[in-house]
Amino acid sequence: MAFTSFYFLIFAALVICVYYSVPKKGRWLALLAASYAFYLMSSPRTFLFVLFTTVITFFGGRYIGRQNSEHKAYLQEHKDRLSKEDKKALKASVQKKKRQMAALILVANFGVLAAVKYFAPFIEALGVGKIIDLGILIPLGISFYTFQTAAYIIDLYRGKIEADSSILKFALFVSFFPQMVQGPISRYDQLAGQLYEGHDFSYRNISYGAQLVLWGFFKKLVIADRAAILVNQVFDNYDQYQGGIVFVALLLYTVQIYGDFSGGIDIARGIAAMLGIDMAHNFMRPYFSDSISEFWRRWHMSLSFWCRDYIFFSISLSKSFGKAGKRLRSILGDRVGKLFPVLVAQMATFLTIGLWHGAEFKYIAYGLYNGGIIILGLLLEPYLRKLTAALHINVEGTGWKLFRILRTFFLIVIGRMFPRAASFGVAIAMFGSIFKGGGNFSGEIFALGLDAADFVILLGGCVIWSIISYRQEKGIKIREDISRKPLALRWLLFLGAFAAVVILGVYGPGYDAGAFIYRGF
Amino acid sequence: MEILTGIRSDIDFESNKKLIDDGLLESLDIVAIVGEFNEEFDVEISVEDLLPENFNSVDAMVELITRAQE
Repeated sequence: MAFTSFYFLIFAALVICVYYSVPKKGRWLALLAASYAFYLMSSPRTFLFVLFTTVITFFGGRYIGRQNSEHKAYLQEHKDRLSKEDKKALKASVQKKKRQMAALILVANFGVLAAVKYFAPFIEALGVGKIIDLGILIPLGISFYTFQTAAYIIDLYRGKIEADSSILKFALFVSFFPQMVQGPISRYDQLAGQLYEGHDFSYRNISYGAQLVLWGFFKKLVIADRAAILVNQVFDNYDQYQGGIVFVALLLYTVQIYGDFSGGIDIARGIAAMLGIDMAHNFMRPYFSDSISEFWRRWHMSLSFWCRDYIFFSISLSKSFGKAGKRLRSILGDRVGKLFPVLVAQMATFLTIGLWHGAEFKYIAYGLYNGGIIILGLLLEPYLRKLTAALHINVEGTGWKLFRILRTFFLIVIGRMFPRAASFGVAIAMFGSIFKGGGNFSGEIFALGLDAADFVILLGGCVIWSIISYRQEKGIKIREDISRKPLALRWLLFLGAFAAVVILGVYGPGYDAGAFIYRGF
Repeated sequence: MEILTGIRSDIDFESNKKLIDDGLLESLDIVAIVGEFNEEFDVEISVEDLLPENFNSVDAMVELITRAQE
């Protein structure tokens, strides 16, 4: 069942009604029933995958949690009798037990993920042939819930949280329906409590949530799905186009993917908000970033923060890398030696982000491209500082800031080629074709599925989106701002937005409006 | 204190009590800070200590080091 389908709206409305009509204590059960119903309606053949992950993670988590609490209790009880060495030895033995269990669960869950997501494309790439039709076999949301449960296990291992005591409640945490299509990847300590407690009905939640959903539909249906028409035409027939057309398609893809993904997230967060649940943010106006590393703190935040907490820190702070860094310092100098663990961790992080999208080489290239730019920036930093000083550039000025934002945006647009092109080879070929002359730009641009009116709508939508983003960037809370406007104006705005989605949204026949790009990941 | 200003000279560590929550310190800074702490004070701050509240202010960091030294 797609987010943008009429049935989903009916389903969501029904869930909200049921949620607020059952007794407060049982509201989480209503959510669990709704989430499982959603899953069974969307992806019935893969339901067992979710159950498998839920069950093993729950019981594995219980085991680790028990180790934590028993260890704590023992220390408390024998506080005075234990020497420092005893404590250390005890900690090591507990750590070992916890580590074995955590590894077992992680290997099992990621093993399933790898099997369904990576093994089949790998076989295909080897040329053995297409063994299974992947589209049917990949369980809905598997990347998202696998990462979410992995975070739960690692947090338990690190002693940050306590194990869940109810398997049914935990099942809700794993399968909460708004996050199943494309995330965000929630953290246990941030989301679980909110899911389990019954929330009171509030007009504000309903109104704010509905506004977010409407805005999500606007971005998805009016902007992203319109841009997609041109993007698909060019990328699907890449050998027919060259020059400016290819660049326009790439630029529009940058718009499309942001509208598609953030629109979907807004719909998910809006529905959760109507249930009184505040889900993690996934986007913080990423195209305003002034560096690639800042971009990754603002784009798909739940994934990049996941990678930061569980991969980047794990590697960069591990003892062996610290030691290697120290040794390298005598060879490569203080600065590079110190940077070494960070560089390795950074590369591993971006490799994961790339692989998260799929096993194909183009995704790996995408990760390496982003990681490479950040590392280059780190290594060149002192030289760039000297350069800006020598050129008398005011690095605090608005002009420089604007230059950095535009430069970052340009790098992002270029990088988008890798995941979108059919393969790494095609991506390189398309880069080449941008610089090929010829072609009739003004004649061709309107022959790609979008007419002049479509371009006006697309541009207008992006202008509205940019103004809203700019105001948010300035710290204005848009929905609070709207709520202070006179009643008539407010409703005019809502109805206008609603009409825009209904009238200007792309619903053409043969075009699958419901297919979110990130659903495939 | 010297360690901190050596890593990020642009931040007022003295008065800021929400270094992490306000997004002032980035992950790269944290790794650099922890690395220096471990070396300077001969402690072992590990991934498990990487909670925002341990790095939000200078006081919190001092407390973290003292705890690690025990």
